[in-house]
Amino acid sequence: MEVIIMKELLEGNEKLAEENRKYFKQRHLLAVNLMGAPGAGKTTLISAIAKELKDIPVGVIEGDISSSIDAENLEKQGLRSSQINTCGECHLDARVIRDGADQIDMHDGIVFIENVGNLICPAEFDLGESVRLLAASVPEGDDKPFKYVPMFSYVDVVALTKCDLKEAVGFDSDNFVKGLRAVSEAPVFEVSLKKNEKAAGIDTLARFLREKYEQM
Amino acid sequence: MHELPVVLDIIRVMDEEAEKNKIKKINKISLVIGELSSIIDESVQMYFEVAAKGHPCEGADLVFEHRPAMLRCQSCGKKFPHTRDFQCPDCGGDSILIKGTGREFYILSFDGQ
Ligand SMILES: Nc1nc2c(ncn2[C@@H]2O[C@H](COP(=O)(O)OP(=O)(O)OP(=O)(O)O)[C@@H](O)[C@H]2O)c(=O)[nH]1
Ligand SMILES: [Mg+2]
Ligand SMILES: [Zn+2]
Repeated sequence: MEVIIMKELLEGNEKLAEENRKYFKQRHLLAVNLMGAPGAGKTTLISAIAKELKDIPVGVIEGDISSSIDAENLEKQGLRSSQINTCGECHLDARVIRDGADQIDMHDGIVFIENVGNLICPAEFDLGESVRLLAASVPEGDDKPFKYVPMFSYVDVVALTKCDLKEAVGFDSDNFVKGLRAVSEAPVFEVSLKKNEKAAGIDTLARFLREKYEQM
Repeated sequence: MHELPVVLDIIRVMDEEAEKNKIKKINKISLVIGELSSIIDESVQMYFEVAAKGHPCEGADLVFEHRPAMLRCQSCGKKFPHTRDFQCPDCGGDSILIKGTGREFYILSFDGQ
């Protein structure tokens, strides 16, 4: 006997993500799911945005395969943080986010969720966020939107990081934007956050997030 | 890379369905997987063989039906399955992704007795 069921997979994650979304809303928290390849500049980006948004409390849920280096560094800067070690898992899921959120126990503010460095799997797990932010770094190459369609078509906003390296790696900005526009309408913010040098572009990205927060 | 949670989900759903439909043995499971779900058939198959042991779906054939992401040509409007270069097969124009396509991810049906 053949039975047609049309049953969605990973529905359990979707349900928990909806619960998280309610939780964040009730607490007036703007949850930002920050994704990107390993080393794309995610932690650097959170740190710099928090410095721009001095008047808004910022918390971080750090997802990492095994260490807590990123969370410790951000805590030194005064951010409330919690660490989730995924023990080798390639992504965060909605279930672990609730634990992380309970640990930082914030009301009102912005919560960044730094996902595991991976340009593939996180695009399949809704965490209950209201903004999906991708950190795409210049050294990864300008052809990435064409090659990683699942991720680039999943996000709401793109931070093009390490723009100070454009010349050095011969990055073709037009090709990057062309690829991105083929799969997404997400706005792009170009930022440079090289250590010990003047930051560029972070103010406009911070303003974008501030507006999202104020509209909430 | 996250095929294990997917496989466990398939087994859980099949356990429920077997009980609901009073089925003892499931022979075939048909899955619909969109191109953008980045799931690899072989990995699903491999985990399934191990994880399904002792469940009604042990030994079932997995049938994968793939659905492409669809593109729309910005010059002539043609709709066609995603190609690497995003170029229209008719007029050579640039195309864009049709939102929501290629994200399918569900169990279509199963066969058992
Ligand atoms: N030149 C330059 N280097 C940067 C920039 N942003 C970050 N980096 C450097 O890139 C390296 C990785 O940055 P992180 O912020 O740790 O990247 P990440 O994405 O958090 O890394 P993982 O969490 O390990 O995946 C560090 O050495 C940063 O100093 C930038 O705008 N320009
Ligand atoms: Mg980091
Ligand atoms: Zn055409």
